[in-house]
Amino acid sequence: MKEKAEIHEYVQSLLTNSGDDGPLSDHESLLLSGRLQSMDAVEIVMFLEENFGIDFSQIGFDKDQIDSVDAIYALTQTVTNRN
Amino acid sequence: MPDEAQAANWPIVIENVLRRHPGVREAGVVHDGRGGLTALVVPADPYLDDVLGRATASSSAISKWRKACDLSQLTKEAASAPAGFNTMGWDSSYTRQPIPLEEMCEWLETTVADILQLAPKTAYEIGCGSGMLAMRIAPLCYRYVAADFSRVVLDRVRDQLQTVSTFAKSVELLERSADNFDGLSENSFNTVVLNSVVQYFPNLAYLTKVLQNAVNIVKPGGNVFVGDIRSLPLLPTFASSVELFQAADGVSVRELRDRIERRIQHDRELVISPTYFLSLKHRLPKISRVEIQLRRGRADNEMTRYRYNAILYVGQGTEAVNNVAFEDWNERELTLDEVRSELQQDPNEPIGFTCIRNARIEKDLAALATLTDADATSTALELRRESEHVIRGIHPQDFFNLGADDSGFRVFLSWAACRPDGSYDAVLVPTRAVDGKPSPAINWPEPQPSQFVHFANAPGQNKFRSELVERLLVHCKENLPEEMIPRDIVLVDTVVRTPEGNVDPGALLAARNASS
Repeated sequence: MKEKAEIHEYVQSLLTNSGDDGPLSDHESLLLSGRLQSMDAVEIVMFLEENFGIDFSQIGFDKDQIDSVDAIYALTQTVTNRN
Repeated sequence: MPDEAQAANWPIVIENVLRRHPGVREAGVVHDGRGGLTALVVPADPYLDDVLGRATASSSAISKWRKACDLSQLTKEAASAPAGFNTMGWDSSYTRQPIPLEEMCEWLETTVADILQLAPKTAYEIGCGSGMLAMRIAPLCYRYVAADFSRVVLDRVRDQLQTVSTFAKSVELLERSADNFDGLSENSFNTVVLNSVVQYFPNLAYLTKVLQNAVNIVKPGGNVFVGDIRSLPLLPTFASSVELFQAADGVSVRELRDRIERRIQHDRELVISPTYFLSLKHRLPKISRVEIQLRRGRADNEMTRYRYNAILYVGQGTEAVNNVAFEDWNERELTLDEVRSELQQDPNEPIGFTCIRNARIEKDLAALATLTDADATSTALELRRESEHVIRGIHPQDFFNLGADDSGFRVFLSWAACRPDGSYDAVLVPTRAVDGKPSPAINWPEPQPSQFVHFANAPGQNKFRSELVERLLVHCKENLPEEMIPRDIVLVDTVVRTPEGNVDPGALLAARNASS
């Protein structure tokens, strides 16, 4: 669960950088809702590659996989289990 | 207290002090009419890049764009996309969904047609992406070199080219970033294509470096086609139209204004004014003229509404179309039928119209005007209702259609005048006057001087620009008496001056408006 907090904090920082100081809930849509832009998706991907060793060229990429804090956390757990 | 005569000299003194700072390329100082002074400063790019660290941020931004390209190819949809028509990553800013395929189809067809008008024979394409243009244009060329910074994307293009063997040999693929011209000689291509890539360049200096090199490798008589450029003068209109589209009915005007401001401030793409390209004509001697083309197409989306093409002609130009007297469209608000009758009256002379209201964006303009004047507590719903009104402008594609094959006329439209209302100019030339030649040189109406103040936005650069302004303020405090320290220092791309050498008042206003 420490990881989920880490992810939540990271996503919050992306929002703050784009001038969005609103509250962030774990289940809300980030990209499909437009709260974050496509460049932020790249930032999230890079965060996951560097901190969780996820290789999207192996597992494929879909915005849905990273569209909420919950989804991102679930992805890290799936990949960890696979490894 | 200084007397007026003394104070009149202050701008020159302050300008000279500012120019001594390595972060300043040019400075223009003016009394701001409120008892203070405003300094307009053109920053020195090497200082921003090397001393303040913008170069690192630029590299990082480029890596992220490359990553975005790579990721777009890792989706399920990309795996099943047809060869030569891979539109991954093209999402509507309005709906955040992929732009409908038929609209992408039209976008591609009109882009290809615009490039083929330039009769490419040996072409270098920067940022070929999934090869959509290469597949269609290479077959008509002797040589086609396609470059892209994403290996993932190029691998796909290579695979697809294998399936279409006639092209495979004529297309050379290069993996490199846009600013890498190693091994490409001067005057070795007749066309360079940059289509829908410049918005991903980190800053204007990078773009200038790329275009300088592009112009260098083009032979006299050739051209550089920069396509699908996002328009800076229309950015407020575009941003407002997106936010209004997305806002729930009850969102207040106050909230909408904040959202629009945030959208503009946080836009990560490079959004450019046509005046930037016009100014290149004076900075790059090889360029003989510059055209600013509206996009063709019937689809109604952000590409047709808010983007344009710039064509840099290298070396010998064609002879000018003389004596095109431009009539102000608004004086008579002619319909297309009326224009057609005028053409028939005297089919031997070119006719020109200026300030033609642009039907593609009239609704968005009306919404922005209403938003600007509205009470802060009005709602999005009320705003939408108020801006429903009769469209009086002419759709650019309707104008283009006047130049259909059998009409006896060819039609040229231009956004060179760079008006923030997106109105355009048109010239209709008897076909026989242009037959056999590429497009004619036309004496298009010119932009207001204030449009040269800002050539582009500065995505991701606020930190560096603010830091520069801080340092310049310190520099002024160290080198000037207190009463001569500028109240405002505003970064601009050009210090526009009147013929007498003073800072142009319209330019000052434009600079202040943009920075607030």
